[in-house]
Amino acid sequence: MDTLAVDIAPVLDGFTVVLEPTNLLYCLIGVTVGMLVGVLPGLGPAATIAILLPITIGIEPVTAIIMLSGIFYGAQYGGTITSVLLKLPGEASSVVTVFDGHALSRQGRAGTALGIAAIGSFVGGTVSIVALSFLAPVVASFALDFGPPEYTALALLGILLVSTISSGSRLKALVAASIGLLLATVGRDAFTGGERFTFGNLNLADGLDFVPIAMGLFGLGEILYNLEERHTAAQAPMKVANVWPSRRDLRQSSGAIGRGSVLGFVLGILPGGGATLASLAAYAVEKRRSKTPERFGNGAVEGVAGPETANNAAATSSFIPLLTLGIPANATMAVIFGALLVIGVSPGPQLVTEEPELFWGVINSMYIGNILLLIMSIPLVGLFVKILRVRPAILAPITVLITLIGVYTVNNSVFDIVLVIVFGVLGYLMKKLGFDPGPLLLAFVLGVLLEESLRRSLLIFDGNAAEFFTRPISGTLLVVFLLVALLPLIGKAFARRRSAEQQNDTTKELV
Amino acid sequence: MNTTYRARRWATTGAGLALALSLAACGGNVGGGSDAEGEDFPGGDPITILVGQDPGGSTDLIARAAAEGLSDDLGVPVTVENKPGANGALAAQELAGEDPDGHTLMVYNGSLAYITPLAVGEGEAPDIADYDIVTGLSLDDYVLVTAPDSGFATVEDLAAAGRPVTFGTTGVGTGSQLSQELLFAQADIDATAVPFDGGSPTLTAVLGGQVDVGSIQLGEAIEQIEAGELTAIVTFAEERPSYLSDVPTAVEAGYDVPVQQARAVFAPKGLPEDVMTALRDGFQAAFEEEAYQQFNEDNQLTAWEVDGDEVRETWTSNLDEYRSVVEEFGIELGGE
Repeated sequence: MDTLAVDIAPVLDGFTVVLEPTNLLYCLIGVTVGMLVGVLPGLGPAATIAILLPITIGIEPVTAIIMLSGIFYGAQYGGTITSVLLKLPGEASSVVTVFDGHALSRQGRAGTALGIAAIGSFVGGTVSIVALSFLAPVVASFALDFGPPEYTALALLGILLVSTISSGSRLKALVAASIGLLLATVGRDAFTGGERFTFGNLNLADGLDFVPIAMGLFGLGEILYNLEERHTAAQAPMKVANVWPSRRDLRQSSGAIGRGSVLGFVLGILPGGGATLASLAAYAVEKRRSKTPERFGNGAVEGVAGPETANNAAATSSFIPLLTLGIPANATMAVIFGALLVIGVSPGPQLVTEEPELFWGVINSMYIGNILLLIMSIPLVGLFVKILRVRPAILAPITVLITLIGVYTVNNSVFDIVLVIVFGVLGYLMKKLGFDPGPLLLAFVLGVLLEESLRRSLLIFDGNAAEFFTRPISGTLLVVFLLVALLPLIGKAFARRRSAEQQNDTTKELV
Repeated sequence: MNTTYRARRWATTGAGLALALSLAACGGNVGGGSDAEGEDFPGGDPITILVGQDPGGSTDLIARAAAEGLSDDLGVPVTVENKPGANGALAAQELAGEDPDGHTLMVYNGSLAYITPLAVGEGEAPDIADYDIVTGLSLDDYVLVTAPDSGFATVEDLAAAGRPVTFGTTGVGTGSQLSQELLFAQADIDATAVPFDGGSPTLTAVLGGQVDVGSIQLGEAIEQIEAGELTAIVTFAEERPSYLSDVPTAVEAGYDVPVQQARAVFAPKGLPEDVMTALRDGFQAAFEEEAYQQFNEDNQLTAWEVDGDEVRETWTSNLDEYRSVVEEFGIELGGE
């Protein structure tokens, strides 16, 4: 396995596989379908791939898997479009894109946001594939070193970041995040089987689903809020200008794209929540580095560039555990795993040596797929942006309809439609009262991860919490957590004391 | 069939958006020769097979493989509809409310019938007496695995560890949990259960040495076992599965813990005799197709194509047996 990074012949063979016309065609079909389902709220890549599975039975394994993976990363591109234009994040990893992407769109700069996102996604994806080609076997073990204690520390760090990314009042963000954590506890307890807040309803036994909450809080909530706006002030269709990002936008976001690529690649390797954490971390990093953090939430290009690059890089690197260890890192990978089994390929540690053609064919198809997506986005961005020219009176009902159908298709569940409506009303009320729904949603996602990892860790440690600090990765992460959480407080405490007592000698020494 | 596929591909490229929506709406198996409308099966209406698990999982794949052959034989379209939730209880609840006309079926997991009731509260798991059973499908084996550098290779090694052992399970109320709880109770090994959310997180934890051992469905671990990245300690069926014939069973190792995952086709109660016969024949024809048999082999599944009465008898006695042995050893599957 170690010779893999050096042995270049199979890599080149992989390119010849991809460049066969049939494979190119299926790659194109895959990314196109992916982009389209990404645009449809609710219907995600996992469901689409499952639906298209029977089609793959008649075709070559390599071709089939090239198409299916095209759907997956194509959907990452498409998901951005609804986040920016309609405030409908289709997946947890594009929630943070909503903050600045939609703000830009309201300023008539939707084209800028989508353009930057497409460029960022392309760069992030490509960087990640290059890294994947050379490092896959080496970094695979990284995913295995992440046990429950490490996830606990990571989730804690993530929740801390959530409270800092909100653009409004810190207190209101904390309230919203707490509600999110509370919602995360709904469902059958994964450790005892006991029911929590399910009121005897089997629909709640597995807890609340991310998609209906996101669709309700953001999409429907926004539409309801705008309906009310229309009565107070006549609202013209949003103006649409600046289809392409200016040179200044590109300069502003180049750093964000670079940092997003690295963060996305590294965190994407982690099974479960990797892509979400990556986009969240990228956003927080950009906001913290910025000299003008107040622009974030009001249309900062870096706020779109960072997370969009990161989630695409993460989508690509999440193939590593599947292709090298045989472990699917998220729901979509699980379906691709199933698809591989159906076509008679067992993903696992032996895949690279037993089926080099398939392994490299798939990886190299991603280069091509990303280029195709970039080329497609150029004309399509202009087309999609035109959606905003449609009068709200026409656009809003269509959006609501598509949202409700989309949500229904995820689990074939009418209950989920009711959930969207409930959370839509909640989202409307939150917006009216000045609460940001972002922290609620992100805390909800991370809350599940935090609770389960913490309880698992304590079972493994036999209740001894001190062991969190004896493991290198979780120990380091917790120290970082403490530093990030406590430094501003300490700083503030000293500043107050200094101004109050006017005696700075002792304080300076301590600092 | 080929022409259908090709047409569909082009439709996909052309009117992708509309197609994706309509595909989503039918949410299932788009294959199947549906050219013989209004023939064969009582009425030409399509059959829907409910699956209580996510798309892409073993239960889903089994349902789709069987649907393919069933559709060919009965001459009506057969679609698979995923309705995940509560270990499959949600789909079972929906099935119970459907008309018993044979047009709505469900692939029912044995664990929901004979393990989940031991872990969740009264009335939270459905009772198989409320359904008609069409046919058995197949059996899936559990295997106890560990990372090679853990130093464990046999149950005796685990007993001699001199410390409490941690074991990963794929969730509460699963065969993975029951098999290990029973084994460790009988072998008198001090062990702590660490539940994960499904097979692949459990596999990851065992590979990374986060837990000492884990019980995983054979199909999910076979690749790693063959690559030498996991050591198989015992399997939990009464006899050695043909796919892993060099690993002893727990019974051979001296413990009485036969646990397998089984799957069967359920229908709402009150299916008319002629409909039941037509369905049974349809499934028998599907089982005989080479593609279906190959599917079983590729997924390490053992055919268990018995009739509905035998399914009911086996599962009922499994539940009674597990209930008594769990009480005997004082095992709590769902703690408070």
